[in-house]
Amino acid sequence: MCVGTIFLFSTQIKAQATVDSLKVKLPKHYFKTVIVVDGYNKANQKFTDTNDFTAKRLKSYGLKQFSLSFYTPLVSYTDVDTVKHTTKNTHILLTGNYMRLRPVFEGIKQHDLIKMGFGLRFIFNSGKKGVWFVDTSPFITRDATYTSQGYFRMASTIVYSHNVSERFNWRIGATKSFMWGNKNYWPFIGLRFGRLDKVHLSIQFPRSINLNVPVGPKLTMSFYTKPQGGMYNFSNHDSIYYLSNASTFSYTRYELNSGFRADVRVNDKFNFYVAGGISSKNNITFYSEKANKARQNLPYRTYFFKENLGPTIFLNLGLVFKFGKTRTFYKDRNMYDVMDLNNTIDVGDNNGGAGNPQIPITPKSKKDINLQSVQDLIDYNDF
Amino acid sequence: MKSLFKIIILCCLFFCPGHSLAQGDKDKVEAIRVNFISERLKLTTNESEKFWPVYNEYNDKVKAVRKNLRQSLKKAPEELSDKEAEDLYQLDLKTRQAEFELYKQYRDKIKAIIGAKKTMKLRSAEEDFKIEIIKNIKDKSD
Repeated sequence: MCVGTIFLFSTQIKAQATVDSLKVKLPKHYFKTVIVVDGYNKANQKFTDTNDFTAKRLKSYGLKQFSLSFYTPLVSYTDVDTVKHTTKNTHILLTGNYMRLRPVFEGIKQHDLIKMGFGLRFIFNSGKKGVWFVDTSPFITRDATYTSQGYFRMASTIVYSHNVSERFNWRIGATKSFMWGNKNYWPFIGLRFGRLDKVHLSIQFPRSINLNVPVGPKLTMSFYTKPQGGMYNFSNHDSIYYLSNASTFSYTRYELNSGFRADVRVNDKFNFYVAGGISSKNNITFYSEKANKARQNLPYRTYFFKENLGPTIFLNLGLVFKFGKTRTFYKDRNMYDVMDLNNTIDVGDNNGGAGNPQIPITPKSKKDINLQSVQDLIDYNDF
Repeated sequence: MKSLFKIIILCCLFFCPGHSLAQGDKDKVEAIRVNFISERLKLTTNESEKFWPVYNEYNDKVKAVRKNLRQSLKKAPEELSDKEAEDLYQLDLKTRQAEFELYKQYRDKIKAIIGAKKTMKLRSAEEDFKIEIIKNIKDKSD
């Protein structure tokens, strides 16, 4: 017994020593560095309330949004339990987001509203059935066109995700988000039916409902409903807030987008996506934080302008750049879930998303396999 | 938005050099191979969650060791000095040794997770996949 143990131990050390002596570099991380460039447009709509002073002044409302976001792995730590044979891993990612929102009001000059920030996310894969996810996304919003006060805000999320099987997953947690047009604390409840690399339905309250259909290894179609929105600082340069001489007021918006999206995986370094559909529940509000704070013993959220516009169309385009060599995780359902969690909860609280660019989708055809692609598998003696 | 369309087209052209396509082919074969093995092994949920991280790690290490050797073999043997040839010979032997030792180390781990019978099933699935691939290439060349 003792001799056997010593032999096994010495063999393991020897194996490690041989690999080490070759000075082979193995990828450290599971996550690639991913940069997403996203453009989102919503068609202009006329304000129909002819009695409202602000509506008459603004005339119409549309959106042009551009965002640049990224995530990059800072720390990846893998721990193998040799007794239980589980592989746990911990990931810390740095995230960043720059967004330029241009609300298009026909009646006033153009305003470019900026939202930017860096955040951190922590993901722990227990190696059994559970994955923990914690994200903090602090950001600053300000009106870049005219003088305005910047405002610091923070979105955050904590989720526990449980993989009952490959085909069924549930998630529970809490999220502080601005995507519904104001600061909201929501419970996070998620359900997924179907494998992540096959057709699956994913319901992630309050973020999205998705039906994903991989058409092949290069193309995934999805049908979805999700809210998009936020809180921004708006300069009172045009004196829209007529009751005060405040330099800045708050502008909030949300819309519920329902449509389809096509994700095209061009290669291991680049993807792009095209999405379009109907934007409904188009809500816009203006309020003065200063005036609201002064209204003691009265409801805080008092808007000096509030409109709900009818449905309109939207178009969303995105480029996804992926950098770096990573460890492989084929069929590792917990790692698939780690990737999915990271992409479901989008960087910077924009509720956009890179899709799932790293989850491998198995090709059906073996026809176009060439010799170069199988050189690691086949020796001369195999022929 | 129009400019984003233009950027998409440019990126498709720029990010499609030969190397990326070759890498894409390798990834494709790897995905098919893993799927083939998975269908053959019929692992339980419990076995699957332990087996795949270990098997993936093994494949990563073997690939890295082979890539290391392949990069050194790029120079034509006629151009090598005696010293370089000797170094390369030693590297070749070391690589073979490292491959075998990794194989043993990880097969022991795999056996502890899925048992000896399924470990042999894995071996047979790996061999059968090779045969399928060879047949496939042969059919294409005929």
